[in-house]
Amino acid sequence: MSQTDDWMAGWIKAQQGYWRAWEDMARQAAGGKVSEDAQRQRLGEGLDHWWKAVSAFAPADGRAMFDKLMQAGQGYFVLAEHMLTGGGQDTKPADALEQWLDGLRKTWEPWSAAASAWPPAHGMATPGQRDAPMQGMATFWDLPMDTWNRMLATVMPLPGDFTQAFHGNGEHPLRDQVNRFLSIPTVGYTREAQEQAQQLARRQLDYLAASQAYQAAFGKLGLQSVDAFRQALHARAGDPVTSLRELYDLWVEISESAYADFVMTDEYQTLYGRLVNSLLALKQQLALVVDQGLEAMHMPTHAEITTLQSRQQALRRDNQRMKNEINGLKKEMNLLHQQIAALQAKAAMPAQAPRKAATTRSRTPAQTAASAGARADVAARRDADKARKS
Amino acid sequence: MLPIDIRPDAILRELNEYGEKLAHGVNNLMQVGEIACGVTPKTVVYQEDKLKLFRFDPPADRVPSRVPLLIVYALVNRPYMTDLQENRSTVRALMEAGQDVYLVDWGYPDRADRFLTLDDYINGYLDRSVDVIRERHRLQRINLLGICQGGTFSLCYAALHPDKVSNLVTMVTPVDFQTPDNLLSHWVREVDVDLLVDTLGNVPGEMLNWTFLNLKPYQLMGQKYLGLLDTLDDPEALKNFLRMEKWIFDSPDQAGEAFRQFIKDFYQHNRLIHGGLTIGEPVDLRNVTMPVLNVFAEQDHLVPPDASRAMRGRLGTNDYTELSFPGGHIGIYVSGKAQKTVPPAIGKWLDARAPAR
Repeated sequence: MSQTDDWMAGWIKAQQGYWRAWEDMARQAAGGKVSEDAQRQRLGEGLDHWWKAVSAFAPADGRAMFDKLMQAGQGYFVLAEHMLTGGGQDTKPADALEQWLDGLRKTWEPWSAAASAWPPAHGMATPGQRDAPMQGMATFWDLPMDTWNRMLATVMPLPGDFTQAFHGNGEHPLRDQVNRFLSIPTVGYTREAQEQAQQLARRQLDYLAASQAYQAAFGKLGLQSVDAFRQALHARAGDPVTSLRELYDLWVEISESAYADFVMTDEYQTLYGRLVNSLLALKQQLALVVDQGLEAMHMPTHAEITTLQSRQQALRRDNQRMKNEINGLKKEMNLLHQQIAALQAKAAMPAQAPRKAATTRSRTPAQTAASAGARADVAARRDADKARKS
Repeated sequence: MLPIDIRPDAILRELNEYGEKLAHGVNNLMQVGEIACGVTPKTVVYQEDKLKLFRFDPPADRVPSRVPLLIVYALVNRPYMTDLQENRSTVRALMEAGQDVYLVDWGYPDRADRFLTLDDYINGYLDRSVDVIRERHRLQRINLLGICQGGTFSLCYAALHPDKVSNLVTMVTPVDFQTPDNLLSHWVREVDVDLLVDTLGNVPGEMLNWTFLNLKPYQLMGQKYLGLLDTLDDPEALKNFLRMEKWIFDSPDQAGEAFRQFIKDFYQHNRLIHGGLTIGEPVDLRNVTMPVLNVFAEQDHLVPPDASRAMRGRLGTNDYTELSFPGGHIGIYVSGKAQKTVPPAIGKWLDARAPAR
């Protein structure tokens, strides 16, 4: 059996198990009894488990693409899951969806309030955390923030989790401790190093505050999206949604529309600017600290390489300018040579030919040369003018 | 009650179909092979640093226009968008419209290129490429076709070197960078670009990808892939999808100094239309005296039509034409409708202004 057939067989087997469990769940919606399998297994998770098992054998390119498919599928599956099970026994999909939207609303409400009164109260769950209505939703509602964290990993030498390390939750928030630490004056032989470390910590806190404010604003957006989704559904009375895909597409359309309105606001402009600027300030300070370490080890620093790159480009520009000047001078030299050749040809010409001969069309070699020289003269002068301009 | 008429068994059936499509899709993804882009044969005629100047090999059975056309692409993303595949190639369609087509490929800047400025790009690389073509064809002037940011570069170049440009075509080119519907412009207004470039050096392509994806995050990062499921069983449609996907994420890093100047002068201060823009020399759009064809897309979410239309009345030319296409920023190059209408219209416009043979 080929490897592909193995995957297919594995997939079909997994599918059978999941469908059995989920058919049970469908029966539950119709008043039946739910099986233990269905309680234990989440549909999206089943797919995820299967993919984790087979993806190790997939080529890298295809794997990346399939990862995206799986990620997109999670939102879709979660939607289905909530419609099938959201309200428990005897609940129709429409009611289950309504209850789920209520749950989402409750999750977003504190964040919406937090967005207008930052910082949020201690102990508040972040929108991506595992509240029941939010389960599995990180790939949908948090898409902008999620991709921000992925992008962040490419420009920071630290994992994204590190930048979130100082959080305000708990009875004795670490942030307060850090702030106390940062207020200690730096003294002694290592005073500058201490100061740099303090600055790094300050910038980390600034970034944390900016990213939380950004995320809180997305909480507000989530709330607006849920309300708009519900309104859009009610507006379709008489034209009911008849498939899961249709429902999902509507959900995307409404979320995209709410997002588009939000990101054109001045509020978003400020949040975005603050998020990017605070991240860069943190990275800049980090680079400074790294440079200090490199310098201590007698290794080239980032700052030194930047200086060299700048000087190298300046030299290249000078080089190009001189090359242009040399080309211009070469053209002028050619022009002069041609003029000299023309003059020499003229001087070498025999004495004035008889008038009759001059009226004939035949030309002596010297005349031809002189004429060609004059033409070349004009062309070369034109080229030299161009070279000077360039 | 919400107007939803979906039975639980119907939901399960949909999910079952989804799972089956995914499983079969794995097979097709494994077999899809290499995704080739940039299909029209071409030859490198000039090379400098990472820049390559290509000439697309003219067909043996046709004499192309006497005045060649140089395509100037953006620094962002890669120019093979104009030659994605055989039936989706603006380059090929331009050649079929009788044009002799050249293309500037800026390459992938690395950290050693960090201090390249707009002056280096426009008055250096681009100007030398234009000179190479002029010398090859023994012409004083050639035609330019600038795309997106490359269109802005071409416009600046035409203003700085009007004696070398015979006709200028701009496609989805921003001129007014602060129209109310310009999302990118809105976002960068409060970004400290000096801090960005001083800290990162070159601006990573991933950062640009993030920015572009966030213009429509739910569609571009979620719904699009669900849509792909419907085409997974069609190898050709899958390849088309993967070509676009490759192009979308093939984002070169941006040379830091050029990026700094582009964001500050164009996006933040809108100097191309407010004045005060200097790229080596002051850029004055009134110096653009050659004929200009301005092509824009009506549903462009990156360069809104008004950002391009702002060219009207600001140039020194008496021969200004607009061509609007009912599509988006990418559709204008790859859609079947665009292939049939846009390049032929450009060819016709250029032919009408070509010197007599």
